[in-house]
Amino acid sequence: MKDSNPAACSACATKGLCGGKGLVTLKDGVWTVNPLAIQMLGICSALAVTSRLESSLVMGAALIFVCVGSNLFVSLLRQYTPHRIRMIAEVAIIATFVILFDQFLKAFYWDMSKQLGPYVGLIITNCIVMGRAEAFALQNPPVLSIVDGLANGLGYAGGLAIIGLARELLGTGKIFGHTVLLEQWYTPNQLMILAPGAFFTLGVVIAVFNALRGPQDEEENK
Amino acid sequence: MKVLLRLLDKVRPTFEDGGRLHLLHPAFEAIEHFLFSPSQTTITAPHVRDPLDLKRFMSMAIISLVPCILAGLYFYGLRFIAIIVVSYAAGLTVELIFAIARKEGINEGFFVTGILFPLIMPPAVPLWMVALGVAFGVFIGKEIFGGTGRNLFNPALVGRCFLALAYPAQMSGSWLAPATELGGRVLKYVDGSNLDAVTTATPLALAKQGEFVSTAHMFVGNVAGSIGETSAIAILAGGIFLLMTRVGSWRTVVSTLASFAVLAAILRHAQPDRFGPVLWHLCAGGLLFGAFFMTTDPVTGPVTNTGKWLYGAVIGATTVLIRNFTGYVEGVTFAILLGNIVAPILDEAVFAVRLRRLRSEG
Repeated sequence: MKDSNPAACSACATKGLCGGKGLVTLKDGVWTVNPLAIQMLGICSALAVTSRLESSLVMGAALIFVCVGSNLFVSLLRQYTPHRIRMIAEVAIIATFVILFDQFLKAFYWDMSKQLGPYVGLIITNCIVMGRAEAFALQNPPVLSIVDGLANGLGYAGGLAIIGLARELLGTGKIFGHTVLLEQWYTPNQLMILAPGAFFTLGVVIAVFNALRGPQDEEENK
Repeated sequence: MKVLLRLLDKVRPTFEDGGRLHLLHPAFEAIEHFLFSPSQTTITAPHVRDPLDLKRFMSMAIISLVPCILAGLYFYGLRFIAIIVVSYAAGLTVELIFAIARKEGINEGFFVTGILFPLIMPPAVPLWMVALGVAFGVFIGKEIFGGTGRNLFNPALVGRCFLALAYPAQMSGSWLAPATELGGRVLKYVDGSNLDAVTTATPLALAKQGEFVSTAHMFVGNVAGSIGETSAIAILAGGIFLLMTRVGSWRTVVSTLASFAVLAAILRHAQPDRFGPVLWHLCAGGLLFGAFFMTTDPVTGPVTNTGKWLYGAVIGATTVLIRNFTGYVEGVTFAILLGNIVAPILDEAVFAVRLRRLRSEG
């Protein structure tokens, strides 16, 4: 990511998505440096809201929305933001999008809003959003920043969806509230919907992810 | 240990060439090697180096469990054998997978876990749960920490804790009334499904409703409970053997039971109508079994002697608190797992204090 700089934008119009950088950025966020499994960010909400698949997906969608929006605006304003107050500016932008999403949920999906509780509001403090704004959007053009926000949001949402699916399926035998594993031959494992279940599932997801990705620079795992 | 060695040396000539029972020599040798490392060394390759003596250590632990195993067989019959077979099969499968992945041999570590786990199961637990629990215990409790000797938690207890949290209804509804008929159920398979045995509540669960089973019954084992924990006599017999061979540390056991007794006595003194008598509590549930066979696990307990005293105190006190003040009727599993967590810290603290004292002295 260090090689991407504002000058890359001139290539935007000519070939591919941001001169081929788009794909690299996309792959980075979703796979190579996946925020959840490799960078270990956003663990708190990954443990808290994943007892059901539905809430995991909504949480993932919220993060994609906030991350894309905040990355776009931080990037647009990067030339005008004084360096010393950039963090405050970033938080203000992020908070705006979080509140937008929160209000949207409250207006149209009240049940889901109640279920997620404080965790939508807590996206403001989510390290992924802040981290992308700080590490990427401040140095990159708007379109590439959108791609980065989307990639990281997807990487996070994907992880959440896998955890949510595993926990709901094993913990209750259901998917989206519909019984999939019949009670005659499957006894729901209640540990999976408790907090320890989230830890075990997350641990397994991280282990599998790292095994599939193969050993790369060890610094990332630190 | 010395007594055993002398006994073996005494009967050895009977099994050597020319002895009366020399045909049985292989059996004698197997027992001897099970108990002690062989004294003869190989002349050609492969040379066996055995500095750790891990196998003998494990063998002693298994022998000390024999009284509990026999009591379990007497009270709960062939189903106990089935649970043991499932436990070993499932646990060894996980061990085998990891041994292949790591390109190492299977080591003896699992043999004790494989028998400890059935002993802390409710007698009517579904067999697939036994398999799942022991596999989880070995996988999460041991292998991902690096295998035998590197585990933070006792694998058998991790497995039981997992089952207790994941399937609370089945785990707490699988207690059988033990055999009362003469001769026990040694040749019967009972799982409570077709009214061949009554499912019942454990003494600790009954105590929550204010009903106390007699201490004498619990001492002999005529009460419901996990397979290995019902008979206090069997546990004491095996446990004292374990301490005499010094495989288990008497400090940990004494400290656990003493801290438990002291705290239980204080509670009893404060509110006799609410808390059970001390001796009753000592015999109830898994306390004795846990104190003798779980806290003495050399891997998950502390190494220093001071650490062992503190470790036992943590476990004993936590057990009293969980038993008397929470919704759980039994707290030994959780107490020992909590003890496992603090064990390394206790050692660190003991070392730090000792180092500081050494430095200040010179």
